[in-house]
Amino acid sequence: MSLLEVVDLRADRGSFRLGPVRLEVPPGSATVLLGPSGAGKTTLLRAIAGSLPLAGGSVRLDGAAVEALPVERRRFGFVPPNLGLFPQRRVRDNVRYPLALAGAPDAAAKAANWIERFGLTDLRDRYPHELSSGQRQRVAMARALAAEPRALLWDEPLAALDVESRDVLVRLLRDLLETERLPLLLVTHDPTTAFALASRVVVLDSGTVRRDCTPEALARGPLDRFVARFLGYENLYSASELARAEGASLAPRLIAAAGPGGLVVPPEAVRWRPGPEGPHAAQVAALRWTAAGWVVALRHGSLTFHVATPGATPGVRIGDRVGIDVEPAELKPLTGVPSNGSP
Amino acid sequence: MHRTAIAARTLAGILSASLIGLFVLPVVALFLYAGGSGLAFAAGDPGFRTALEFTLLASALAVGLGLLTGVPLGYVLARYRFPGRGVLESVVTIPVVIPHLVVGIGLLLLFAPNSPVGRFTAALGIPIFDAVWGVVLVMLYVGASYVVLTSQLAFRSVDEEVLEAARSLGAGPGEAFATVTLPAAARGILTGALLMWARGVSEVGGFLILAYAVYPTPPWNGPVTDAASVWIYNYWGIDPTAAVGASALLVLVALAIFLVVRLLDRTGFAWARGGFFS
Repeated sequence: MSLLEVVDLRADRGSFRLGPVRLEVPPGSATVLLGPSGAGKTTLLRAIAGSLPLAGGSVRLDGAAVEALPVERRRFGFVPPNLGLFPQRRVRDNVRYPLALAGAPDAAAKAANWIERFGLTDLRDRYPHELSSGQRQRVAMARALAAEPRALLWDEPLAALDVESRDVLVRLLRDLLETERLPLLLVTHDPTTAFALASRVVVLDSGTVRRDCTPEALARGPLDRFVARFLGYENLYSASELARAEGASLAPRLIAAAGPGGLVVPPEAVRWRPGPEGPHAAQVAALRWTAAGWVVALRHGSLTFHVATPGATPGVRIGDRVGIDVEPAELKPLTGVPSNGSP
Repeated sequence: MHRTAIAARTLAGILSASLIGLFVLPVVALFLYAGGSGLAFAAGDPGFRTALEFTLLASALAVGLGLLTGVPLGYVLARYRFPGRGVLESVVTIPVVIPHLVVGIGLLLLFAPNSPVGRFTAALGIPIFDAVWGVVLVMLYVGASYVVLTSQLAFRSVDEEVLEAARSLGAGPGEAFATVTLPAAARGILTGALLMWARGVSEVGGFLILAYAVYPTPPWNGPVTDAASVWIYNYWGIDPTAAVGASALLVLVALAIFLVVRLLDRTGFAWARGGFFS
């Protein structure tokens, strides 16, 4: 049971500068690192793990600085983006590796225990290349935990998984956080994983922390373009896109509501009705079926709004003209500048 | 299928078959000409058997030295960026492009018994001229490049993330090298060793200059002999039938060694396959 603290950490990778980054992951909780590609998420994990030297700052476990320790003595269960499984070793040997290194007398039994906890018993004699993505992820997790780490650093642990495998692993991770009481810092691009696991969300951009807040606070806003995309909003418009909008009678209202980074028009903010046109008109440009119902793309001049309709049928056909309006109170302006320190 | 495509495939097939034929037919001719009697004669000839034993000893020493020096160099070239690395890579390929008779002359000039280097090595108990170490030196020169180049490729292909994971799991740099890097690169290194061995055993030019006859010097305590390839070269002018029989036998020995190493690679080397801690 440890508290992981990152205090004003700085690291350089070529011309890329990371930090200063400050964050805290209490035992038994997960903090999710979010950010666009190249934001510095993996660099941060590597710097904490010790694979990358620090240019400044400190990494602490239960208050004790570990940055002077070599990687192998930090006891971070680091899982890199491509998992780093040993291709020449079978599943059982991958999981047994850290235990054997530590000279554990009951290495095989302990490894077998982790293999069983991750549902890998039937696969124990297979090589990594003989496993599916989800199975490989489980091997990497079992191996990281077999090393008896004091904190977990996982880079995209649930990437490229089907929904079912991901849900199984999320449940497993939640159980582990509860039973092992370890701090988990993980990178993910998947909002479902983030919201299911994280008690804190840290948004990195260009090497610096832009947000450090609860998942709920992240969803409530203020929003920037990256966070809005991460949360799954489709109707994102930059300020210049709105200013240049042609044939869109709603544009002045949208411009008035937009922030420096533009505007999000949530689907629930769009009021539309098939048939007789009101003061503002749109045309059905596309229809898409999702598990939550139909998504209708409405073209309003040069702007397109995606709206959800829960019915079994969309009620319109491509090319139909519809009446449209937006509810100003439900529009979400986008910030154009970093917004730190949300609770 | 389109006619042009059929024609192109046929042409490619004919050209490939021609090359494969060029590779295989001389060996077939060798065995046909030698026959069972030629092989039996070579196997029973004390002179050739001694030359063969000597060649196996010298090539084993050369491959050992090649691995000892070539694998670290391959590792350095694969893992580190430093000024002059490109020059070093070019130097490694020099032995592949220099005619091997020239290699022998160069080595003789350097290691001749009356040269400073030759006197120095002789004083250390390692005579080079007409001695087992001369043969080893030529084999090392003409073959070690293969160990360096294949090791370099093998080390380069080891995933950095795998090493990163090993370190975070508790392996120090040495342990990570021994338990992850080396096993992952083992097959490439083995291939390099096999190529080096084959190149060394097939060498003639360098031996003719530096170690035409091999006099007993430790670790070779047998009678005066030649490298097997030199023995064959000598007998080609005196007794072609014996030379052909010996050649066929040398090919059989080489094939047997390749087969044994490949079998070991397939079934053994447990340490390289995850059983390191077994």
